[in-house]
Amino acid sequence: MFDFMSRILGGKSRLGEPRSKSLAKERLKLALACDRVELSPQVFEGLRLDLARAVSKYVEIDEAGMKVRFDSSDRRLSLVASVPVVGTRRTGQARRSKSRR
Amino acid sequence: MEGRVIVVTSGKGGVGKTTVVANIGCGLASRGKKVALVDADIGLRNLDVVLGLENRIVYDIVHVIEGKCRLRQALIRDKRVQTLFLMPAAQSRDKEAVQPDQMKQLTASLAREFDYVVIDCPAGIERGFKNAVAGADEAVIVTMPEVSAVRDADRIVGLLEAQGLGDPRLVINRLRPEMVKRGDMLDIDDVLDLLAIDLLGVVPDDESVITSTNRGEPVVLDGASRAGEAFRRIAARIDGEDVPFMSLEAQSMWSKFKRFIGVGR
Ligand SMILES: Nc1ncnc2c1ncn2[C@@H]1O[C@H](COP(=O)(O)OP(=O)(O)OP(=O)(O)O)[C@@H](O)[C@H]1O
Ligand SMILES: [Mg+2]
Repeated sequence: MFDFMSRILGGKSRLGEPRSKSLAKERLKLALACDRVELSPQVFEGLRLDLARAVSKYVEIDEAGMKVRFDSSDRRLSLVASVPVVGTRRTGQARRSKSRR
Repeated sequence: MEGRVIVVTSGKGGVGKTTVVANIGCGLASRGKKVALVDADIGLRNLDVVLGLENRIVYDIVHVIEGKCRLRQALIRDKRVQTLFLMPAAQSRDKEAVQPDQMKQLTASLAREFDYVVIDCPAGIERGFKNAVAGADEAVIVTMPEVSAVRDADRIVGLLEAQGLGDPRLVINRLRPEMVKRGDMLDIDDVLDLLAIDLLGVVPDDESVITSTNRGEPVVLDGASRAGEAFRRIAARIDGEDVPFMSLEAQSMWSKFKRFIGVGR
């Protein structure tokens, strides 16, 4: 009951926008990860683009749906990329399409 | 036996370092330990007013370091707790008046006479920070559950590591249970998850901190205050006792009422 009331009074519904603390946590995760490897947001964007370019040499990807982040659980940093693949291409093809340009 | 030298630091200003130093110092001294508090915030001293000792200062840390007085002469004994002492900062000097090596010497001589030496570090990561951490064996990081304080705390973890202070412990200050409950404030697990260091304690945001500071009496001496209880537990943990973490549920109207009429906490 109390929960229900506070949800109504407190603004967003459960299915609506995330509460501000989830945003804070997500933003902090990336900021800390970047701070820890001393990457500026621009350099990070460069890394994302290079990754996209490298992967699309082998498979067709949906670049807009690509997600790259640092995961820093336990103070160990790893780079996690999720790249939606929309089609395969043969390596030969990839090379050919490149040489045609 | 050598005492333990503990630096309390945060990166970001205004998150509660001085309050934490005053209260864990007073808490440890109330447990019968001999404690020296060192105000390393040269030029912006505050530990003296928080402890209500501002009228007793004759000599300060820079006088000691420059050899203008003996160590003992600069130490002010607390009014309430006999085993608590303050080494005040200089007010009309700046951070450059002291070198990290000199700080090291000073804290080492204090550690020969006290069980605990607790250092109040200034905000920032420059000279004042380097001075404050120079002689420390352990570090306590103070943060608040909000983005800039947590981010700065993370920088401090890295900088402390570089100084050989590898296992800092965290105090989360000014937590507001009702905001956590409605999902508008990072909770304890979020902060620990992000910073990945050990928790020393959580202090609720509490008006009694401000009213007791107004009087110059650390809130840890106030048996009825929730923040005071949090600080008593933190002091006990530093002293090696294994005490459970306080429950910081948002208080219901009912429990507030029960507290009001004096049954239950
Ligand atoms: N748990 C708390 N609840 C309510 N107020 C608090 C709490 N902790 C600290 N404060 C208040 O917050 C203000 C800042 O605290 P404090 O001076 O200890 O911070 P600081 O980190 O030492 O600041 P600086 O970086 O300037 O040295 C003070 O007015 C203090 O009374
Ligand atoms: Mg301070």
